[in-house]
Amino acid sequence: MQAIQFEDFSYHYPKTGTGLDRVSLAIPYGSFTVLTGANGGGKTTLCLAMTGLVPHFFGGSLSGQVLVDGQSTAGRSVAETAGGVGIVMEDYESQLVSLTVFEEIAFALENQALPAALIKERVSEALAAVGLDGLAQRELSALSGGQKQRLAVASVIASQPKILVLDEPASALDPEGAEELYALLAKLNREQGITVIVADHDLARAMPYADTVVVMEQGRVALQGTPTDVFAKMLSGQIYAAAVPALRRLKGRLEREHQALSDWLTADAAASEINALLSPQRRLSLSA
Amino acid sequence: MLDIQQVSFAYPGHAPALKEVSLTVAAGDFIGLAGRNGSGKTTLTRLMVGLAKPVSGQVLLDGQNTIQCGPATMARAIGYVFQNPDRQIFRDTVAQEVAFGPEQMEWSDSERAEAVAAALNMTGLESVAAAYPRGLTRSFRQRVAIASALALKPRLLILDEPTSGQDAEEKAQLMNLLDQLNQQGIGVILVTHDMELLLAHSRRAVVLHQGEKVFDGPTEELFAAAAATQVTEWGLRVPDVAAVAGKLEKPLGAVRSVEELADRIEGQLRGDEREKSGAPV
Repeated sequence: MQAIQFEDFSYHYPKTGTGLDRVSLAIPYGSFTVLTGANGGGKTTLCLAMTGLVPHFFGGSLSGQVLVDGQSTAGRSVAETAGGVGIVMEDYESQLVSLTVFEEIAFALENQALPAALIKERVSEALAAVGLDGLAQRELSALSGGQKQRLAVASVIASQPKILVLDEPASALDPEGAEELYALLAKLNREQGITVIVADHDLARAMPYADTVVVMEQGRVALQGTPTDVFAKMLSGQIYAAAVPALRRLKGRLEREHQALSDWLTADAAASEINALLSPQRRLSLSA
Repeated sequence: MLDIQQVSFAYPGHAPALKEVSLTVAAGDFIGLAGRNGSGKTTLTRLMVGLAKPVSGQVLLDGQNTIQCGPATMARAIGYVFQNPDRQIFRDTVAQEVAFGPEQMEWSDSERAEAVAAALNMTGLESVAAAYPRGLTRSFRQRVAIASALALKPRLLILDEPTSGQDAEEKAQLMNLLDQLNQQGIGVILVTHDMELLLAHSRRAVVLHQGEKVFDGPTEELFAAAAATQVTEWGLRVPDVAAVAGKLEKPLGAVRSVEELADRIEGQLRGDEREKSGAPV
């Protein structure tokens, strides 16, 4: 069984008629998947379909089905689906409903009728995880955009879902905050086996952690596979190529004229291989 | 044109947001303004356009204290584009939206028409002049906000995180537009978290850290190996291109993009091959 499975799924929003076009996609349990693609390509719709909000909240027409944790989203309410999958929406402010930070995180837990002591514990764990410790009593109106985005993440992880869907979760964060968020997602993924699905344009920050990249284009899955394969195909097929991380664009450029290079995850790794390429010793050994 | 002298600012009941920041903006500059969330970037830009008044210190526009300049003088000199374009879009068509500033200035009909046409042309919006701005994509709405600022023919354009919410291709187009405007002599101050863009487009970088100016100089120096540890302390990130270039044993000079770095490395490799084959270098 897959964590998420789209089976020949098409969907059209009631007003615009756009949406998803015959998407087939299987996301296994424990995977760290990055969704990317030009705006309007279907990333957000895909995320919403994983939570049942598409179609239940938006209406519209569909064919095929989406299975989340083995269950079809069409046959269950959004609340039932939400038991297994948590979402941080692109418009994260729209999912914040409480007066204070504590109340916001406790909201879902209270709805699950957890004991008060456990709720308190979960809230402080979640706040610590996103770097908002000490702000439990802060009113939401006094938070910055970045803090609100972290809060949205905290309230979702506090419920400990098996599957976590995040739509551009770092859009309001500075580079350091974005790196911390990705490190947190990687930790949840590796240590607790949580399936992580992130929609993002910045693939460099996801590159060290992702095992799968999916590129959406005009409502269809244009590419899916390992980051290495997908980045190479994005470059060779000019499919949303501008989003390929700098290190992979560099590798792609150098490989046009030279040997195959490794799949660098860091600037250090890239520099040491390029240094070896440029070193006089190597030239000597080649000419010998 | 803009001289910020020892400016401090605090929001009531809060710790100082800016502490004695001085900064000179020359005509035609392209400045990248960076720093953590909460470091004072937005506050500084608000002071530049007179949306906030310094607690101490002063901001001079062409030698005149901005407190004494009316809003019309400020708006003509400096265009401001908010992070969220929807905050400044409220009319029924793109052309009407862009005409709002010139109307407030009480320019003549022909001056207004000329200013709107020029602004739409510069931003590539002629084809959607009659469209309802809120029905356009985020990337187009961002352009509408820029066109509205340009309609007053400012000498300096300040943009707060203009690439947020834009995909990689839209980002590239927007930066291309800013480069073009800058080549036409319009100064640009770009507030951004995207260090790759900062390195590729801004000639000068200014970094704020806890309300203080901690760096002001050529962008490539900000990311040079010696400064890299500080950059991390300030919450920024050295772009991979600069990080790779900084770690090469054979110095290739400052590079601003993947293409430049690849060209230099390939140049070196070709040179090597010529040396090996004994051909003249």
